[in-house]
Amino acid sequence: MSIFEALRVALTQLWAHKLKSLFSLLGVVIGITFLIAVITVVEGMNRYVQEDFAGSLFGVNTFSVVRRPTVQTGNRSAEEIRRLARNPSVDLDDVEAVRRAVPDARYFAYRNARRMSEVWHSERRRRNIRVIGGSEDYQDVQGWKVEEGRGLTPLDQRRGLKVAVIGPEIAEKLFPTESPLGRQIRLEAHRYEVVGVFERKGGLLGNAWDAAVLMPYETYNQTLSRKRDRVLEISIKTNNERELQVAMDAAEQALRISRGLRPGEENNFYFQTSSGLLSAWETINNILLAAIPGLVSVSLVVGGIVIMNIMLVSVTQRTREIGVRKAMGATQRDIMLQFLAESSFVSLLGAVLGILLGLGLGKLVEQLSPLPASIPPWALATAIALGLLVGLSSGIYPARRASRLNPIDALRYE
Amino acid sequence: MEASTPTVIVTRGLRKEYDMGAEIVYALRDVDIEILSNEFIAVMGPSGSGKSTLMNVIGCLDTPTAGEYILNGSPVQDLEDDELARIRNREIGFVFQTFNLLPRATALHNVELPLIYAGVKAGERRERAARALDLVSLADRMEHQPNELSGGQRQRVAIARALVNEPSILLADEPTGNLDSSTSAEIMSLFVDLHGQGQTIIMVTHEHDIAEFAERIITLVDGMVASSHATLTSAPFASAAPPVVSEG
Repeated sequence: MSIFEALRVALTQLWAHKLKSLFSLLGVVIGITFLIAVITVVEGMNRYVQEDFAGSLFGVNTFSVVRRPTVQTGNRSAEEIRRLARNPSVDLDDVEAVRRAVPDARYFAYRNARRMSEVWHSERRRRNIRVIGGSEDYQDVQGWKVEEGRGLTPLDQRRGLKVAVIGPEIAEKLFPTESPLGRQIRLEAHRYEVVGVFERKGGLLGNAWDAAVLMPYETYNQTLSRKRDRVLEISIKTNNERELQVAMDAAEQALRISRGLRPGEENNFYFQTSSGLLSAWETINNILLAAIPGLVSVSLVVGGIVIMNIMLVSVTQRTREIGVRKAMGATQRDIMLQFLAESSFVSLLGAVLGILLGLGLGKLVEQLSPLPASIPPWALATAIALGLLVGLSSGIYPARRASRLNPIDALRYE
Repeated sequence: MEASTPTVIVTRGLRKEYDMGAEIVYALRDVDIEILSNEFIAVMGPSGSGKSTLMNVIGCLDTPTAGEYILNGSPVQDLEDDELARIRNREIGFVFQTFNLLPRATALHNVELPLIYAGVKAGERRERAARALDLVSLADRMEHQPNELSGGQRQRVAIARALVNEPSILLADEPTGNLDSSTSAEIMSLFVDLHGQGQTIIMVTHEHDIAEFAERIITLVDGMVASSHATLTSAPFASAAPPVVSEG
């Protein structure tokens, strides 16, 4: 009997027992759905992080000077962490040193910032906000767009005017019925005039920015800064990757000289790049991808056991049929092939249904979140291969049992 | 005995013993039989006489403990499982008391079954199965499932299935055991027709009137051949009532 013939017999059988077949493939469907859904989400996050997130946080060809890393990347020794903690804060002297070192930068910006518990307008307030004092290019480095009113101007910066651009969530909360432009907001004891409202960023991390207040660095420095002239981050954007490397080297030298570091002494500042952040993401990503096989194999093993059980019951129920087939000249191999074809087909069908459901779930995630649904072809191939593997391995024991039945006993079986 | 009639089955000293732990059951003890082509044999005997065991061995469903079984000139007593399957497929057509049709398959598909295992291609398979069903007058029931057929029709489907691969022997185990007397007569007249067309038939039965349709009755008692004699049916052809009917 050919494999094609075995498959035909198997299909006839499966169709004759539709409900049983449906139940036997459920386990595999769940396993594969899970596999595809998780991979879709992880790949989607991957794309999101690489294309949107890292770009919006730091931008490509961008590096920043900070006291110590804000995102933990890789494994740092305890000693290294202690050393980084001893680094002095970045301040306006460092800003001037770096500015002179990278005169050709496309954007050069710096900021100080703090979280604040509330912002007021008359009796209304918004809790948990972020206040940023940004230098001239800061909005551009961040890629923030103003939806209403205007952004900060060089004049605001130079004069240290008490003006602010607010995020859309603050605008909604404090000015639900009127335009915020020209109105006053209050932070601690200071009042600022609202000159603009930012466009909504939305998304996973946008929420934090949608509830932010941006004011000129100089204004922040004079009103809210806890320590004068402190800078949280200096951001430099270059035109391309090559210039980025040159600029980073120049900035490093300038900072070492201005901070009076001797040759051989470690840098007491830290350069953060988007590639550094991406490598941090990669670590997370790898952990997720490493966890999938464990989770998926648990559900697939369960699915396989379900198939095996149902096949064993089926072998018992069809003992007489097996006897008849053997009397008609079916060899052990023929019977084996028939049952293996059944279990494999059930499992493969489960895998296909799982793929469809998984893709559906991925699409749902895409609708509900900013993550793009992205399914790599290798995941589909893996799902199909796993389906076949589960089918064959769970079918082998029942198929062997069926093929080894004694035809006389099988024919007499009631 | 004329040399022109080939021998289909020869057994010499056929033994079958079952080890039941405490005792050994001797199902067959030195059975010597010889069956010629185109014979119609009935095997009779009380229950426990070994007739089912003999049928199983002749049908290549079982192998003897000792002795020789020569089918169409070649010994088959020592063959492996898969070789026995091949012989069952090519040389033997089974008809069972309980029909043993696949319940969810059409009559046509049931009859196709031996051809599937013989490796016959789908088109030819269908054609041959249809011809076999026509032979048992069921051409108009091809697409029916067993539960849509009467007992007699089911047994005729089973007979078509047994014949479809043109076996050397039609082996029937109590073929009328589950049928009423008029349907039994119908099946027996089909057997007589097939026999008339040259088919060798071996039939196990415990009913004397059914056995009378055969030409020769082999009676087993306690695992041994107690008698082998021609029936009235064959009397006109075998004048001296020899143990073996040699008329072709």
